[in-house]
Amino acid sequence: MSIKLAVLFVMILVAFAFLGIRLFIINRDNGDKYKKRVLSQQAYDSITIPAKRGDIVDRNNTKLAVSQKVYNVCIDPKTLNKDDGANLESTITALYASPIEFSYTKDELRSYILANPDSQYRIIARKQGYETVSDIMNMVNNPSMYPDFKGVWLEDTYVRQYPYNSLACDVIGFVQGDNEGAYGLEEFYNSTLVGTNGREYGYLNDDENLERTLKPAQDGKTLVTSIDVNIQSIVEKNILAFNEEHRNEAREGAGSTNTGVIVMDPNNGEVLAMASYPTFNLNDPRNTDNLDIKVELDPEKFGLMNGILDGNTDISEMDDSELAETVRKLAEENKGEQEAADNPEAQQENTTENPENQTAEDDSSNIEINVGNKEEDNGSETDDPYEGLTYAEAYDKAYEEAKMEALNSLWKNFCINSTYEPGSTMKPFTMAAGLEEGILKGDESYVCNGVTEVGGHEIHCSNRLGHGTLTFSGALEQSCNVAFMKIGTAIGKTVFMKYNQLFNFGLKTNIDLTGEALTNSLVFDVNTMTPTDLAISSFGQGFNVTMIQMATGFCSLINGGYYYKPHVVTKVLDSAGTTVETVEPRVLKQTVSEETSEKIRELCVAVVDNGTGKSARPAGYRIGGKTGTAEKYPRGTENYVISFMSFAPADDPQIVCYVVIDEPNVGYQAQSKYAAVLCKDILTEVLPYMGIFQTEELTEKEAEELAEKQQEFSTGSSGTESEEEVTGEIIVDSEGNNNESAEGSENSAITFVDESGNELDEEDRTGEKVEIDPETGYAIDPTTGILLDPQTGEPIDPTVTDLQ
Amino acid sequence: MSEQNRPKKKKKYFFDYTMLFIVLFLVLFGLVMLYSTSSYEANIKFEDPAFYFRKQAIASAIGIVVMLVVMLVDYHYVQRFAFIAYVVSLILIILVLTPLGYEAGGARRWLNLGMSLQPAEVAKLALIVFFASVVCKFGDAIKERRGFLTVLGLALPHAFCVLTITQNLSSAIIIFSIVFMMLFVATPQYKEYFIIAGIAVVFAVGMVLLIKYDVIPAGLSYRFARVKAWLDPEAYASNKGFQTLQALYAIGSGDIFGKGLGESIQKLGYLPEAQNDMIFSIICEELGLFGAIAIILLFVLLIWRFMVIANNASDMFGALIVVGVMAHISIQVILNIAVVTNTIPNTGITLPFISYGGSSIVFLLAEMGLVLSVSRSIRLEE
Repeated sequence: MSIKLAVLFVMILVAFAFLGIRLFIINRDNGDKYKKRVLSQQAYDSITIPAKRGDIVDRNNTKLAVSQKVYNVCIDPKTLNKDDGANLESTITALYASPIEFSYTKDELRSYILANPDSQYRIIARKQGYETVSDIMNMVNNPSMYPDFKGVWLEDTYVRQYPYNSLACDVIGFVQGDNEGAYGLEEFYNSTLVGTNGREYGYLNDDENLERTLKPAQDGKTLVTSIDVNIQSIVEKNILAFNEEHRNEAREGAGSTNTGVIVMDPNNGEVLAMASYPTFNLNDPRNTDNLDIKVELDPEKFGLMNGILDGNTDISEMDDSELAETVRKLAEENKGEQEAADNPEAQQENTTENPENQTAEDDSSNIEINVGNKEEDNGSETDDPYEGLTYAEAYDKAYEEAKMEALNSLWKNFCINSTYEPGSTMKPFTMAAGLEEGILKGDESYVCNGVTEVGGHEIHCSNRLGHGTLTFSGALEQSCNVAFMKIGTAIGKTVFMKYNQLFNFGLKTNIDLTGEALTNSLVFDVNTMTPTDLAISSFGQGFNVTMIQMATGFCSLINGGYYYKPHVVTKVLDSAGTTVETVEPRVLKQTVSEETSEKIRELCVAVVDNGTGKSARPAGYRIGGKTGTAEKYPRGTENYVISFMSFAPADDPQIVCYVVIDEPNVGYQAQSKYAAVLCKDILTEVLPYMGIFQTEELTEKEAEELAEKQQEFSTGSSGTESEEEVTGEIIVDSEGNNNESAEGSENSAITFVDESGNELDEEDRTGEKVEIDPETGYAIDPTTGILLDPQTGEPIDPTVTDLQ
Repeated sequence: MSEQNRPKKKKKYFFDYTMLFIVLFLVLFGLVMLYSTSSYEANIKFEDPAFYFRKQAIASAIGIVVMLVVMLVDYHYVQRFAFIAYVVSLILIILVLTPLGYEAGGARRWLNLGMSLQPAEVAKLALIVFFASVVCKFGDAIKERRGFLTVLGLALPHAFCVLTITQNLSSAIIIFSIVFMMLFVATPQYKEYFIIAGIAVVFAVGMVLLIKYDVIPAGLSYRFARVKAWLDPEAYASNKGFQTLQALYAIGSGDIFGKGLGESIQKLGYLPEAQNDMIFSIICEELGLFGAIAIILLFVLLIWRFMVIANNASDMFGALIVVGVMAHISIQVILNIAVVTNTIPNTGITLPFISYGGSSIVFLLAEMGLVLSVSRSIRLEE
């Protein structure tokens, strides 16, 4: 027995020895490999911690764009399948008991989990708010209390929100895809805003001990902008009012093709407001509900060309969509016939009616498509992007393209992206060049006969009958083209172009927004400039500018000649709120001298006091400004860009407000009054908001108007009816008005019509004086001197003026 | 303590302090390793790092008390209960089918009798006692083929029930092997044993080859799938081979002296069941090849003590009990380490004294008590 025991012991020893050797071999052969495996499994365990995109705030720290923390709900099917799915049902039940909206139904989720037992990650609900996921979060964080809730976790992420929806949409831009800014500040400052994602991972320290390390996310930086939400709101409200007022007036659609307004601080180049029309909701930038998408696929032509319409079908009663539908149906039928019988007659028809589209593909069942206006000169079918498509496919494709085009033009910032001929708002620049160079003294006088001949061309003044003799100031006040052609000739093209360069025309202003247009090919070259070019340039035709170029240049004209770089961002804060960068106002160059600047201010004030800019004067204020009306290419189509450039107050400019209306939806477009009135409406609200006191006495009418405005302001009504009435219809005097000229109505006399239709003279309108307290804007009772509430007429305690 | 002094005074009886020391060391070492291995998972699952440790410590304390009690009792006393133990242990296995049985980790192997109990552990102890008694009773009859096969056949009901009722192949193999080894020592023959062992080896190799070349589809049973995973763990890294592969990573990354006690990475959620079957791989990772070999040597030392005690036992019954315990411990240690090192296909075998398992440690220590009791009966020659 002891021998057998010894034999057993030896056998056991052999087994142990074998296992010992096995251990040694594993270490020797695979030790390094397995060590790496162990470490690589660790790296696999790291988690990305998303950085929060920085906010965008206005100058008063009102949040324009914020990132909200939200949660993705993720599942681990592998864990849920463990123990034969013991926790599967309980977990699914718990999930669907929460208010979360999942991207799967209960059954879909169950079958997904069962079908993918090796998957360890699947997002089942995206971007859920804290409130929605709080129940699940509680269960995830307390596994011991919920032992049958497994394989679920929450992933942090952020969504971009714009509390003011469409406000300042062109300036702010939006975020698409993976935290990528598109347009505006979001794109221009994308790298500043995004921050750096953090990571949580395990690693081995010097002693080869595992340590869990959290590399926190570096949140993006906050942009403090010079935009003022209140001014921006005022501007957008008035733009909208204009466009609604003139909706469907002369043609179908909004009150203008586009309306742009820039409000700037001329003393530092900060943009206070920048808006255009139409706007879009930043929280839903791809919404096309309000877009007029023009599909360039002419169903009638398409139908006739392909023999689908035989010319006898009455299509005159149909609107576009009906027609498209009919053609689509006929096309499908036609296709069926061709397939079934290979009808030679149908082919014959095709051949005769659509010779240019005939190819060897006649027997093809696909219907060939011609696109709207292209087919006439588009003999080769290889150029046709819709070749080989059915009507429905072609229509879809054309629709998609048209939609993207419409969206892109909607997203573009009109104020920096669109170029146009400035028209008469150029005139102060022309004068400044002459004054600065000493070519003009300011005491010149000009005789306007309505037309002048330059370089063999007869160029008419806006007033074809002529302005007669005009003083230097009068030339600008009446916006006389003849006078300015003479000024242009006097200055000469070299000086003129030198100053254009100084005012940055043809160059980018490099404003900190994405999408500024480059205009270098849209201005004259001094070497090839003809006298005619110079003549029309002197009053702002023939070359293109952007709104921001004009506004920035004008700021330098009236602020003493300092050309500040226009900018929107004034400060960059880190996520803790500490300032990391301050954008100081930057003078890029001196355009004109202080003396010239002062002279230009006087001239512009005179334009509003006595000339074409009268209708731009906000009640109680003295401002300077210049109108502009430019006929668009192609000339003769009666399409105009009208504009008004202003600064206020007259003696110490605090803001520059530039209004451009592209193709106002009115019967006769060449009336810069529309722009001037819009400018006045904006200034009437903005100036008191900015704390700029009224300096001028109010006429009775103005006081009434102001009172109504305040009522409207305080009641929050967005209606504009009262304004319209008081502003009165602008009646173009038939006498001395030339509708065909580019300058249109600027020089026309205006009359005011009261409610009963009686014409009122300027003097008549000055009735009983009601003094307005400059600080509050309230009316002052002329007998007691007590402030009166404009709404109720009740006296107001002057100590509780909270108008602003 | 007075009992310990008695042999000193009388210089008459032997007591194996070496073995007692080794056993106590292994139990304490097991607790340390268990705490190191399980604290991470216990913290995640139960928010209590000491959850497994505390349960095991309580079981170990009970086990040590049981061991001391059994040690002081004359082992001949248990001979009377040999048959009852045989029947009761079989009933306990069958009881798993009743509502008293419960499932854990996907297998129904436990009984809830106020405290949790694994009947297979009971069966091992019961069969050691029962067969020691039976072999003594049979006397020379087991040297005959008929007697030999009869005795061997007596092990079949337990092995069969463990295999079918609790789906526990490894325990069935262990139970059968214990009996087989006890008979091997008790009888002078060699041929029969080598024939049986040869048949078993040929059968096993044949099965492996058939599974390897897909003659038997691996989908038929999870055991076949395990064989596949054993042959090529990398190919099954995401499921059946995962545990084995992670165990190998742990062993391989341990190097000679390991990462240090408590510094395992693999226990941090990568190696499933680290505190159970796979605890040896964590020992390798934390204490290195050196620590692992040291533990193996401790077991060798323990088994050597068993051999010494069996050789010197005062009677056949005592000797056979020790041989049975020796067979039990050595088979389990060898199979466990073989699984961990992927020498054999993965099967759930715990490492005695060290792996987590309450009934296992209590019954193991009861067995140690029996061996010590046998050792106390050895007369020292003066």
